[in-house]
Amino acid sequence: MKIIHKLVIALSITVGASVTSCQRLDIPPTNIVTPDIIYSSEAGVKSFLATIYQNLPIEDFKFRPDAGGGIRTGSNDWENFYNEASCIGEEVGPFGGMDIANGFGYWPYGDIRNVNILITELPKHVATLTQPTVDALLGEAHFLRAYYYFAMAKRYGGIPIITTPQDPAAPLSQLQVHRDKEQATWDFIAAELDLGYKMMPETSDAGRANKYAAAALKSRAMLYAACVAKYGSVNFVDGQARSLGLVGIPADQATKYFQAAYDAAKLLDGKYSLYNANSDKVQNYVDLFLKSGSPENIFIKQYSIANHTAHSWDATMSPRYFTANALSRSYPTYDFVSLWGDLQVTNSDGTPKRFDNRAQLQQGLEPRLLATVYFPGATLRGLTFDMQRGIYPSFSGTAAAEVAKQPNSRSYILAGDTKTLYNGKQIIGFTGPWTGGDELTRTGFYVRKYVDYNKPQAAVDLNRSEQPWIDLRYGEILLNRAEAAMELGNSADALTSVNLIRARAGATAYSFIDLDKVRKERRMELAFENQYYWDLKRWRTADVVLDRAHFKGLMPYYVFNENKYIFMVEPELFNREYTFQKQFYYEGIPGDQIGKNPNLLPNNPNY
Amino acid sequence: MKKLINIILAGVAIMAISACTKIDNYAGPDASFQGNIISSEGGNLLTSGGSVTIKLQQIGWTTPQTIPSKFDGTFEDSKLFQSSYKVIPTGGAFWPIYDTVVVKIGKDTRHDFTVTPYIVIKNFTSTLTGTTLTLKFNIVAPIAAGLPTIKDIQPYVNTTKLVGAGASIRDFSDVNAITINKEYTDMSDADKAITLTIPNLIKGRTFFVRAGVRLSDSYNSSNFSEIVQVDVPK
Repeated sequence: MKIIHKLVIALSITVGASVTSCQRLDIPPTNIVTPDIIYSSEAGVKSFLATIYQNLPIEDFKFRPDAGGGIRTGSNDWENFYNEASCIGEEVGPFGGMDIANGFGYWPYGDIRNVNILITELPKHVATLTQPTVDALLGEAHFLRAYYYFAMAKRYGGIPIITTPQDPAAPLSQLQVHRDKEQATWDFIAAELDLGYKMMPETSDAGRANKYAAAALKSRAMLYAACVAKYGSVNFVDGQARSLGLVGIPADQATKYFQAAYDAAKLLDGKYSLYNANSDKVQNYVDLFLKSGSPENIFIKQYSIANHTAHSWDATMSPRYFTANALSRSYPTYDFVSLWGDLQVTNSDGTPKRFDNRAQLQQGLEPRLLATVYFPGATLRGLTFDMQRGIYPSFSGTAAAEVAKQPNSRSYILAGDTKTLYNGKQIIGFTGPWTGGDELTRTGFYVRKYVDYNKPQAAVDLNRSEQPWIDLRYGEILLNRAEAAMELGNSADALTSVNLIRARAGATAYSFIDLDKVRKERRMELAFENQYYWDLKRWRTADVVLDRAHFKGLMPYYVFNENKYIFMVEPELFNREYTFQKQFYYEGIPGDQIGKNPNLLPNNPNY
Repeated sequence: MKKLINIILAGVAIMAISACTKIDNYAGPDASFQGNIISSEGGNLLTSGGSVTIKLQQIGWTTPQTIPSKFDGTFEDSKLFQSSYKVIPTGGAFWPIYDTVVVKIGKDTRHDFTVTPYIVIKNFTSTLTGTTLTLKFNIVAPIAAGLPTIKDIQPYVNTTKLVGAGASIRDFSDVNAITINKEYTDMSDADKAITLTIPNLIKGRTFFVRAGVRLSDSYNSSNFSEIVQVDVPK
């Protein structure tokens, strides 16, 4: 009986196991999306593209250029003041010096592999996707691949050009690819963008590229390559990588690249235009960065609170006084503001001009400047920018003599907080400047560009800003065109483009132009847009401009016995020093990558 | 229950004892490398923080390492792995050397490098009048042709003997720099006789002072004078 029992149990286990097991274990994995799902519809490909777009090295609000940062895509990347602007004299901020020059070890071959897979796979699915769709998507893929390579070329010079997905099982000798020459890398980027221009349609969904985005990016990239050829052959660090052509382009190639930049920019002629919807020039320039559907926007990046991708620009560019949370740390310098000319704060005899109120300072300034920077006395969300460094019981003499004094022999009264009063008068302003911490201005200014003034104060919090980043706008393309034209000797064309920009800015038109004016216009128009750092690098002027550089602020004081305000130009309150070494024109190839692939050697000069 | 705990404890003890018995049988970094960076114009090349470094590339390894030179033009690293290295001095104000030397570094390995400085500071004198210090000297280039542009010349003042670029008091040093931005070959003899003035030194303090000539080479590097001690009377 017992034996029969055991037999029954054994039998039922065997039968049960053999019936339920081996039931087609060889099924498609259910937890990953397989190629046939992706390529069976345009929606499928779109979902794959989303990842590639998400990781695109757009230097946006969240982009953090130092070793602790990189391309940021999450919702905790709120410290938007760790930006390029605060290392190059546009702003002062949290960085203690030139902390961004070694980059963050950017090496996006994983993302490039995704694009390579897309480019290899798409032509196999013409039957389901149709030829026009495949062509358009392929064009987009070439644009995206160029975007990734551009981000590396401007950092490292020549890099390995990989155009097909590598097989992980291939021999190591095939996987450890050598670097290509710098010139070959830029030529590859140009060719990719040409394909993008040829294959993509004229229009696209917001956040995706169309053919003009490819042309616009090409004008940016070719301008970079042209300057590497022209200026990089004069100011360079010698080394093996240079003699091998891994960094550097022969000087005689410069004209070819300037021409390519010019031609690419010209393709957008008549297709896009500067934002000019509001006749109030200040408001118009403010709205350019906030209004959707602007005819100036070529390629934008969008953010969403619901998807946890929102940024924190509003909460981190303005001090806590105007927001519901957080702190600011981005302070435009007087050096930047005085690009528009020195502010009229001093009389001809050198004594500080007396102002009845601080807002008077803004009278007569160019609308674009007022829309880019918040001045003392400006208003936001019903509150006034209350910048006051301290109080002088009385003031005599010149500003220069006063500023030259040691701090302890100056007769001003400063305070550590806003509660401290002098004869009933608040000593420091609610919005700084002060040295007690880093969350109020050290220069007397705040950033205005991109700040959403319509948001109620209670809603201005971390990860709550959704205004898109305009990565490519027509304003930049006009400036690319003007610079290329100037370098090619076509100053008439440069003058036309720059005057278009100046008319929109509310500035007086130029009657003649030179290269310095074109470059200065670029600095003024594209401030805080993560352009000037790369401009300094490609012009090869960074080691001159940032040679033990210190930056200045504009300090407002209240003169008690006169009931007037004065402003004095003084070193920014932390008086930090910024030095750009010549080797920084290229970043070193990341050490962990050299460890994996010694064929990346020789490293760039001096690394 | 007690027995069980004892068994577990015994087991843990055995594991603790038996673990970590494998000994690291690689040799530690017990090699050392030291020497001088000799100026072709006599003596050691006078350097400063963040200037000359000895770059070592261990043969068979990818990432280079560096030994910073001391202010007197010597260098030493006593924690290196025994191996053959490609070595080269780099980063200072001397005519670049492109050929690396292969050195087998073991215990107490010594090697001297000879370099040709861009600029030599000669006839260096310092005079203190009240609280104003005046430095006078001539600059001479051993090789004039092809010399990088001379950017500026400045004093370095500090309260310790470690004085030079990055180790100086800004208000006495950087602010008293004189801008040159000229080619050496375009400079007259009068241009090459330099006077630097450092006003308003603090009474009753001791300062260490030297001068530096900065050139627009790959490193924006400087040639330095010797260091002098200045006692400002009360």
